Amino acid sequence: MKDVWLGLRAILIKDIVVELRARQVLPTMVVLGMLIVFLLRMASEPASAGAGAPVMGAAALWIAFLFSGLLAQERSFAAEQQNGCMDGLLLAPLDAGTIYLAKLLANVILLTIFEAVIVPLVLIAFHLHVAGWGRLVAVLLLGNLGISSVGTLFSAAVQLTRTRGALLSIVVLVLLMPMMIPASFALLVLFEALPERVSGSGSLAFVGSFQAAVAYMLALDAVFCVASWLLFGVVVEE
Amino acid sequence: MRRLLLALAILLLIVSTWIGLTQGQIDPLQRNILYVHVPNSVCALLCFVVVLVASVGYLATAGQTWDLVATAAAEAGFVFATILNATGMIFSRAEWNVWWTPSPRLVTSAILWFLYAVYLILQVSLPGAQRRAARLCAVFCIIAFLDVPLVYLSARFIPDIHRPNFSFDSAWQTAALMLGMTGTALLAGGLIWLRTSLLRDSLRLEQELLR
Repeated sequence: MKDVWLGLRAILIKDIVVELRARQVLPTMVVLGMLIVFLLRMASEPASAGAGAPVMGAAALWIAFLFSGLLAQERSFAAEQQNGCMDGLLLAPLDAGTIYLAKLLANVILLTIFEAVIVPLVLIAFHLHVAGWGRLVAVLLLGNLGISSVGTLFSAAVQLTRTRGALLSIVVLVLLMPMMIPASFALLVLFEALPERVSGSGSLAFVGSFQAAVAYMLALDAVFCVASWLLFGVVVEE
Repeated sequence: MRRLLLALAILLLIVSTWIGLTQGQIDPLQRNILYVHVPNSVCALLCFVVVLVASVGYLATAGQTWDLVATAAAEAGFVFATILNATGMIFSRAEWNVWWTPSPRLVTSAILWFLYAVYLILQVSLPGAQRRAARLCAVFCIIAFLDVPLVYLSARFIPDIHRPNFSFDSAWQTAALMLGMTGTALLAGGLIWLRTSLLRDSLRLEQELLR
């Protein structure tokens, strides 16, 4: 257990120090996120000026997270390809799952910092009112974990392909499609575009209530994290 | 044997279509598409299960046949999922006057189609590294399978615009659907079989040429 912790901390600190010194990913993520938010705000002018603002705001938030998250995840193993760093990591006396957890944690931290910048921006750009800040933070962290867990696993997997960034994006987006249904629902409730409980026959009624949305996200996060942790060894094996 | 299977499948599909068009017609007209739509939806899911089983088998044993079966089943599944969504859209336009609406089943069917599409892209993404590509696809399929049924199954338990009340009022209708179901399932099996041996032959040829 102690070995796991030491290895995890070493890789995590290495990634954070590299990012602090080189500042390769975070500025790009933030600027891409801001561009997405502003582009969506401009493109949806009639809707975002009126009652459609919460809906567009929620969409802008998740889309910015997904695409900026992809940038962070793509870098996280691409950076290891130079100078045979990946071989060094794999040769370290560590379980492959530990390498995954460290990389996952690094990506979660990057995306959390990104969220701290982008969320206020979205709230301002779309004139949104938040019902319950604590719940908003919880929903965003759950989404963050889901996006990062799948992305980190497949970031390692696509490194040897010719079109790694493009491939990573389709893999991650398709696997996160089911998660985006409850994720959008939760944000729509928090931005007061939906009541706490919805019935009917649409795909939103299928989520049902805010609690159910959070439960779905928790369940998907748990599935993604555990499965990725177990399967990571298979992915990086030569 | 393979030819027999495929011939039988086509025969069953012809009989099913013939019954559907004569004795088993459903009113209004557009609902007859169910004889194609329902068997294809079942087979699209069955193929997904085959891909999953083959993927787990591949990761457990590293036997090449598992990987070939997974690829073949994914290709067949993609075709079924495409027909499922296409017939669904035609029906939806005639019945509800929209081509698509985000009802739970329609969303999950779309997700299924996307998963197959991404799987097939992944399959060709690592040229010359057969084993790595196979492992990558297997991992993708397992995560996808853990991810989708959660949504797919919960979508069964809620009210949905999908599922207009068909009443099967004659045995002919049931017969047409069942024959269509069996025919499509046999077609799926035959196609997977055919494709697997084709893939194996092409791999063998490649190895011969390299030698």
